[in-house]
Amino acid sequence: MKASTSFVVAAFVAAVAPSAHALAVPSEAELVQMLTVVDDRQQNTGDYRSTAYLEQKERGKEDTAFEVAFYRRDADDKLMILFTKPKTEAGKGYLRLDKNLFFYDPTVGKWERRTERERIGGTNSNRQDFDESRLAVEYTPKYVGEEKLGKLDTHHLSLTAKEGADVAYPLVDLWIDKASGNILKREDKALSAKLLRTTYYPKWNKVYSESKKADVFFPAEIRIFDEVEKGNSSLIVIRDVDLKPLDANLFTKAWLESKSR
Amino acid sequence: MITLRIALNNLLASRRRTIFLGAALFLVTMFFVMMLALTGGVLDNLIRASTSISSGHLNIGGYYKSTPSDSQTIILNTSQLKQEAKEALPDAVRIVDRLRGWGKIISDQGTVQTGLNGIAIDEEREALALLELAPAKEYLENAPDPERIKGSLDELKKPGTIVIFASAAKRLKVDVGDAVTLRTETLKGQSNTAEATVAAVVRDLGLLSSWASFVPKQTVVELYQLKPDVSGAVQIWLKDIDRSEEAMNELRAHLDKKGYAQIEHDGQPFFIKLLQTVPNEDWTGAKLDVTTWEDEASFLTQIITGLRAVSFFLVLLLAVVIVIGITNTMTIAVRERTREIGTLRAIGMQRWRVLALFMIEATLLGIFAAGAGGVVGALASLLLDAAGIQLDIDAIRVVLLSDKLHLVPRLVDVVAAVLTLTAVSALAAFLPSLRAARITPVTAMQSAE
Repeated sequence: MKASTSFVVAAFVAAVAPSAHALAVPSEAELVQMLTVVDDRQQNTGDYRSTAYLEQKERGKEDTAFEVAFYRRDADDKLMILFTKPKTEAGKGYLRLDKNLFFYDPTVGKWERRTERERIGGTNSNRQDFDESRLAVEYTPKYVGEEKLGKLDTHHLSLTAKEGADVAYPLVDLWIDKASGNILKREDKALSAKLLRTTYYPKWNKVYSESKKADVFFPAEIRIFDEVEKGNSSLIVIRDVDLKPLDANLFTKAWLESKSR
Repeated sequence: MITLRIALNNLLASRRRTIFLGAALFLVTMFFVMMLALTGGVLDNLIRASTSISSGHLNIGGYYKSTPSDSQTIILNTSQLKQEAKEALPDAVRIVDRLRGWGKIISDQGTVQTGLNGIAIDEEREALALLELAPAKEYLENAPDPERIKGSLDELKKPGTIVIFASAAKRLKVDVGDAVTLRTETLKGQSNTAEATVAAVVRDLGLLSSWASFVPKQTVVELYQLKPDVSGAVQIWLKDIDRSEEAMNELRAHLDKKGYAQIEHDGQPFFIKLLQTVPNEDWTGAKLDVTTWEDEASFLTQIITGLRAVSFFLVLLLAVVIVIGITNTMTIAVRERTREIGTLRAIGMQRWRVLALFMIEATLLGIFAAGAGGVVGALASLLLDAAGIQLDIDAIRVVLLSDKLHLVPRLVDVVAAVLTLTAVSALAAFLPSLRAARITPVTAMQSAE
């Protein structure tokens, strides 16, 4: 008798559970919408300027730290990264023009083309970490489930890079705060599905954008942990975000060169 | 003939002086020959190491650029290119293709940046014959059995294996059988990894082994997501390595005729072009690049140039000492033999024969002493080479491109050293000989009184 009762309960759970799960699972369109919201909250229609502090810890090596100034003009995909501290690095910089990333070193006075996946200042971060968020455009999402991240309720999404998307990590897992819509945690994986790095976004700030007529959100702190080379980590602190229009001549090689003269 | 006999008698008569000068010439020539043998050994190491680790005698490499800034070192239609090489070079003895990759080998305790050579071990056994398995003491700290040798290059037949050099194993703190992760980016720039087991650890071959490893071709194909018939380079070995440059021009002309796009010949290794030259060019698509082993190892030829410069400088310094010694000794000899010279002049010996007499004396001294020095230097080099002396200091291994002392005395070097030092000896004697030739019989008699 006991056995048959258990069987009935099990059969009921088996029959009902998938449909209950289906009710909780957002549709593909809803997931894309979720990513679009994440992207939109960070995007700004005008210009962007910020100061960032980068710190890199690498096993067997001395810690390194830099201060950089970021300039972005999303309307025509331009990006400038200027190293300001320490003195030995000051004047170095990256400039992206027409999908080409260039690096300038004032000590040799030369420009070099660099790959889009260049490790900025040798840290675990790359150009995409500082660029505008394009998750909805670059990835196809899949819902994993609702999960607790500490005290916070999150949506756990698994993303796969779309064919032809120019991304460093083809597989990504995201934990989005249900309450705020901000990303709290991100896992970047290799094509082989091996976990490469985990990124935490413990603090988000917002700035009102005149051009967008809405708030623009940005992570005030990013902590990146290398999952293959255990012990390597990067800390990025972003501050002084300014969305006022930038000088028209800023995204030029001449401007970056002038900073080290 | 009489002049020659007088010169020889003079040498034998002044035995102390002859032995003193001869010993100096002997030692300098021996040193010179041994330095040349060391340079020859490094050159030999360079040829053997570079044509095993990174290059054939000739290479058909290539670059593919999807955008002007993203360049990859790959060639398309590899089997067709092998066929072209076969057609253009009838003296090719082996034509294989290798995949080229660059990434990290990561263990639990360390990371090294390395070149990943994707090879088919069955095709390359001969080319890799130089690689010797390293005993545990060369890469493990406190190895329980220091002389233990483990693993095999043949394990590369199995997927998911890797062969690394002892210096890399030391930094990674891994042994044969340990697991490592290989990390790189696909051609589209996406991160990718592969797991591998260390199949063998081989002895270092100097600087070249600092950034090389061997994996099965399939590993590189999967890491870079390559399509079939795509490879890194076609490597060609010729019957005669000295024909490399000529063969390169023939192959370039052949590929040109067949319509393959090629980049201009630039005598630098492929990785320097990949990092510096090619990304700064505005073209996109695929271009081939035919190079010789010397191009691919050009960054190492500086070591040879450096060694030659050091040898030349040291020998020059010693030659100056010899010139001063010979000039001084000959000047004293001329003064001591003024009476003899006067007598010879009085009985009718002409000035030029007096000059020749002293010059022949110095030349004979040079031929015997430098000749003996050259022969002993060559024999000593051969003995040291046969002894296979192990080099324990890393910096020396890096410069000499081997973990053993390797000397190659070449006949041409020995002859050159002997001739050079003989000429130095003769030239050093020229001024005192000229002074001797200028002595008049009257002056000689006056000095005798």
